[in-house]
Amino acid sequence: MININNNQNLASEVESLSFSKTAKIALKGIKIRLWRSLILIACINLAIAFLSYILTSNSLQRNLETHASKELIEKLIRTGNYDPDNIQNQNIQTYWLLTLAVLISFVGIVNAMLMSVSERFREIGTMKCLGALDSFVLKLFLIESAFIGTVGSISGGLIGIILAFIEGSFTYGKEVFNLSNNSVIISVFILSSVIGITITILGALYPAYQASKMKPVVALRAEL
Amino acid sequence: MNNNQNTKYDELLSAYVVRAINVKKIYMMGSHPVYALNGVNFSVKRGEYISIMGPSGSGKSTLFNMIGGLDKPNEGRIYIDEVDIAALNPIELAWLRCHKVGYIFQTYNLITVATALDNVMLPMTFAGIQQSDAQDKAAELLKRVGLGERILHKPLEMSGGQQQRVAIARALANDPSIVLADEPTANLDKKTGLQIIELLKEINLTQKVTIITATHDYKMLDISDRIAWVRDGKIEKFQKRYELDIKEGKLNVK
Repeated sequence: MININNNQNLASEVESLSFSKTAKIALKGIKIRLWRSLILIACINLAIAFLSYILTSNSLQRNLETHASKELIEKLIRTGNYDPDNIQNQNIQTYWLLTLAVLISFVGIVNAMLMSVSERFREIGTMKCLGALDSFVLKLFLIESAFIGTVGSISGGLIGIILAFIEGSFTYGKEVFNLSNNSVIISVFILSSVIGITITILGALYPAYQASKMKPVVALRAEL
Repeated sequence: MNNNQNTKYDELLSAYVVRAINVKKIYMMGSHPVYALNGVNFSVKRGEYISIMGPSGSGKSTLFNMIGGLDKPNEGRIYIDEVDIAALNPIELAWLRCHKVGYIFQTYNLITVATALDNVMLPMTFAGIQQSDAQDKAAELLKRVGLGERILHKPLEMSGGQQQRVAIARALANDPSIVLADEPTANLDKKTGLQIIELLKEINLTQKVTIITATHDYKMLDISDRIAWVRDGKIEKFQKRYELDIKEGKLNVK
């Protein structure tokens, strides 16, 4: 049958709706729903800023022993800002806090992405009726979350580091720059950005998959 | 295929745009099978205007969804442009929905955050048409449905009738063989509904596009070539327009 062969050729054309075009549509979606996107970005931003802040101030404190002047250490111990005997306990506490922060932002992101999927049931159903493929819908949501995750994480990472330095300059005075180690700071920045982007994409994975598998008829019928 | 068969096949291809052969659709309610469609047979000629009537729960929507390539039958075959939809994989089905079928919904279902132009361009984007070509064509189509001045408006800035016009332009975007309209006038007032019906008829006549509507609107039946009455998962009867006696607000079935 000539027709079916023809269809198959053309079907591969639909499939090849390019990444850049999908990305364009995803970006448009973010722009159109600017407030919702900004809230989502803020959610990631805060979590990642907290993460990089704690990691940075931790690394500053760890360098006290080796890089700070005697007077400063004595002053800090006197004011209760530094307790060399208790540093182990403090570290454990910090890591708990960090785990919690990452978990909370993960749940927040899943929640926000699920909202954004269910808010768009009808839109997804309509797009599928018009010929969108499952893979397109999946890509659309993943690209959207990846973009939001990248912006939120990078800005969050920077903000956290800057805040840690500002706070550090109050506690350690001018010596804060002696305490900082460039390569550590850079790896803190990279680590927190990667964590942020990863949890955003992981959080979006299930909602995006759910959206892509939705039958158009069901999606259209959803009363919202 | 020899020559003779070839000609026959071509004739068939040009004559019928939809053929349903003994179509059955079964849903399971627990362990109890429910026949949404129970042996439906019918053919739609190219360029026909068909209305499907039937109470809710009659299987009307199921039939509709199958013609649109949204659902597959459990038994029987449905051919759209002589392609058996049951044999298609999801990607081919998406292609079919994109190129062969245009949808018009009762609730318009436009992307509310996008402009009329973007809405009409969307199916063309899925079809892989160049952005600039799609833009020109979308503007042309919107002009055609009488919205030439409002192409950059968003759906929420438009009246119901205007939104439905955008939906009609969107349905025509990829020059489909069939336009499926599911109660397109149900959410509109009488006058606007009539304008939409007239627009659909005009498109049907000038573009030779097949239109299949599900409707309760007698004005819609009035311009249909044939009316299919669906009941209990079967097509009870087909009627030609002249077999109906339609008066304002009521219908006497002969």
